[in-house]
Amino acid sequence: MNLERLKPHFPWLTLVALATVVGIANPAFFDIGGLLLLVADVVPLFVMALGMTFAIYIGGIDLSVQQIANMVTVLATVFLSQFGIGVALVCLAAGTLFGAISGYVTTRLYVPSFVSTLAMGFVALSAAKWLSGQRALSMDAQLRNESFGWMFGKTLGLPNEIIIAAVLLGITWFLQTRTPLGRALKAIGAGELAAVASGLDVDRVKIIAFAISGGLAALSGLIFSVKLSGGDANLANGFLLLAIVAVLVGGTPLTGGVGGVLNTAVGTLIVMVIRAAMVYLEVDATRQQMIFGILLIIAIAATIDRSKLRGVVK
Amino acid sequence: MYELRQVDKHFPGVQALKAVDLTVNRGEIVGLVGENGAGKSTLMKIIYGAYQPDGGGVFIDGRTVRFQNPRQAMEHGIGMVFQEQSLITNLTVMENIFLGCEYGFVRFGVIDWKAMAAAAREQLAKVRLDIDPYTVTSRLGFAQRQMVELAKVLTLEERIDGDLVILLDEPTSVLDRDEVRLLFDLVNELTVRASFIFVSHRIDEVLELSNRIYVMKDGEVVDVVDKESANIDDIQHKMVGRDIDKEYYREQKQKPYENSEALVSLKGVSLDRRFQDVSFDLHPGEVLCFVGTEGSGREAILRTVYGLETPTSGTVTVKNDRVLRFMAKSGVERGVGYVPRERKVEGFVSGMAVYENITLSQMKKYTTAGVLRVASERLLARNWIERLAIKTPDELKDCAGLSGGNQQKVILAKWRSAGSDIILLDHPTRGLDIGAKEDVYEMIREMSDAGVGIILVADTLEEAIGLSHTIIVLKDGHIQKRFDGKPGSKPSLYDLVHHMV
Repeated sequence: MNLERLKPHFPWLTLVALATVVGIANPAFFDIGGLLLLVADVVPLFVMALGMTFAIYIGGIDLSVQQIANMVTVLATVFLSQFGIGVALVCLAAGTLFGAISGYVTTRLYVPSFVSTLAMGFVALSAAKWLSGQRALSMDAQLRNESFGWMFGKTLGLPNEIIIAAVLLGITWFLQTRTPLGRALKAIGAGELAAVASGLDVDRVKIIAFAISGGLAALSGLIFSVKLSGGDANLANGFLLLAIVAVLVGGTPLTGGVGGVLNTAVGTLIVMVIRAAMVYLEVDATRQQMIFGILLIIAIAATIDRSKLRGVVK
Repeated sequence: MYELRQVDKHFPGVQALKAVDLTVNRGEIVGLVGENGAGKSTLMKIIYGAYQPDGGGVFIDGRTVRFQNPRQAMEHGIGMVFQEQSLITNLTVMENIFLGCEYGFVRFGVIDWKAMAAAAREQLAKVRLDIDPYTVTSRLGFAQRQMVELAKVLTLEERIDGDLVILLDEPTSVLDRDEVRLLFDLVNELTVRASFIFVSHRIDEVLELSNRIYVMKDGEVVDVVDKESANIDDIQHKMVGRDIDKEYYREQKQKPYENSEALVSLKGVSLDRRFQDVSFDLHPGEVLCFVGTEGSGREAILRTVYGLETPTSGTVTVKNDRVLRFMAKSGVERGVGYVPRERKVEGFVSGMAVYENITLSQMKKYTTAGVLRVASERLLARNWIERLAIKTPDELKDCAGLSGGNQQKVILAKWRSAGSDIILLDHPTRGLDIGAKEDVYEMIREMSDAGVGIILVADTLEEAIGLSHTIIVLKDGHIQKRFDGKPGSKPSLYDLVHHMV
């Protein structure tokens, strides 16, 4: 009983515990300046995980986010000279469109989301390779600074990247908790058939959820691209696993309906602390994914709502 | 021969069984009756080994036995015929009968199908079922599946030494009258091979079949009666612990409906093989009830009126508007409310608060500039909690934590607060205790007085007769007969059954 009541608090308790352990082992971890840099560094991942939250919250998943981000790094780099800051809109539109197509395929053609988004991911990857000619492209430094230089400034001592992340978190939190769309997302995640029988337009809401996921994946790609001042079809590789881990350790289970964007913020910070710990412990970069892979399995097993699975996992 | 002595079972917060004694003699049929929540299912689970008792003991021929799981119980001759059938429908009949026991037919690592078929025929003969053991189970009717299930349990006879005790959990719920007759004859015949424990909510059936009847209430056996001295009213009284009001179904409150313009009108509507050429009118204040056996098309008609199913032909008119697009969403917009049979799956969203469930179908009304007015949603919920006397600490409580009757009230509050004036009720009292059922009956009368048109698929025929103005009998998707049910001149059970089967 008590364990059930504690469950919603696990994510932040984990975060505090992990941060304390890392901080004791390496007191430099608590240095404010360094910490802010670490947080700023994790912003592209966070934005991607934020989008992923919507797909998982309705009980689906979006495996296309990393490839959408890859595609967007190329798009942003290629079209920066043409559109200036307007390239952000192009990127956002492309990502949203990809997400919406995944949503359409999932709801109207009855293809499970893990297949439809995987397939759309390959479409995006291929588009990125085609557009970039398989080369690493770089942005014109002056153009980049004129259009997006503000992203990396500071406001009142706070990196602007963190402010962008906070604004996005605020918007998505509002969407999730205060709008009919958010309520519908929750209903679909917690009891899809009841949502249908209450007359909700479930297909439409799901398509919107995947569109949001795709749109935020595009923003994530854009921020990352500007940060590294370039684009290529493999730039965002490695994000997908971390984004899923961030959502799940944050406390949004694969079965959906509980958790949400605040949980993902906590989950992303947990990923950040673990990454920092691995750097401190000198875990080789090639082995880090191994640890996150195992962590993912643990997070899924710990958060999944078995009563919803009806005893059958295929 | 089989005996439970002073069996206790606790769950967090409840004592499900209190010092239960139960004896089954060789060749005896023991009946078990009780309301929902009386402890019948817990007791059965202990008998077939799914639960272990916390106190007391299980004895077979005077020796203590303890089962860790159903398999061990089976090895001691305890078999269970499940209410929700446990056959795997894409396997053949013989594969189902010997599921998990194929080792008896293995020769050099492969299954000898001929030997298995022969053995299966033997088992099927015991239940007098003349079907090919190679038949795929999905092609059998419900009654036949039930028999196969029984045959499966009877394989224990060859596999173990000692006596058999077979539990029958609501075996008649999916059968029609003739099939029930057949089953009863068979069970009586089989008493030479096994003893039976027969659990059903139909007291008349239990009375007919059993030698002795255990009556349970609140986790205790309140009485054991012999067939000769048993009487339905007495048993019912003991189950409930009080007299059932003669006006149980609120017949005295039934008022004639306005024979004005129809709220819902179906003309020659068909849906694939589910129902054909269905026509009827529903008027304001009318309670229209569909009766028929399982699969007679009752639910499909409700779902079509709501918009969850699209008919293949015919016209559906709701409030003088012909329905062209069949979607739940447009059903809701037309003022249709649907209370589905599967309350936990379709009725409400578990994991969402009471107030969120109440406004789920009408969020638009509580939205200003794209933002939900949570305060007014909660106010609405508080009003309805008071109005329908919903037992919940507050409107923020997760709906899944309420009792079945209160969950049903939340679902009704959802539609009534939205002003739905056509309410479709699919088994609204299923799984509710008697008090909660009466609340539902009261609400049906209230809605009817307020001019709401109600289409009902009732849990029992008595309920259908008691509640409705109009009864339409369905058989295999066709309308057989329409009855008017004014208080005092209601059709009898016999009238209905006569047209159902």
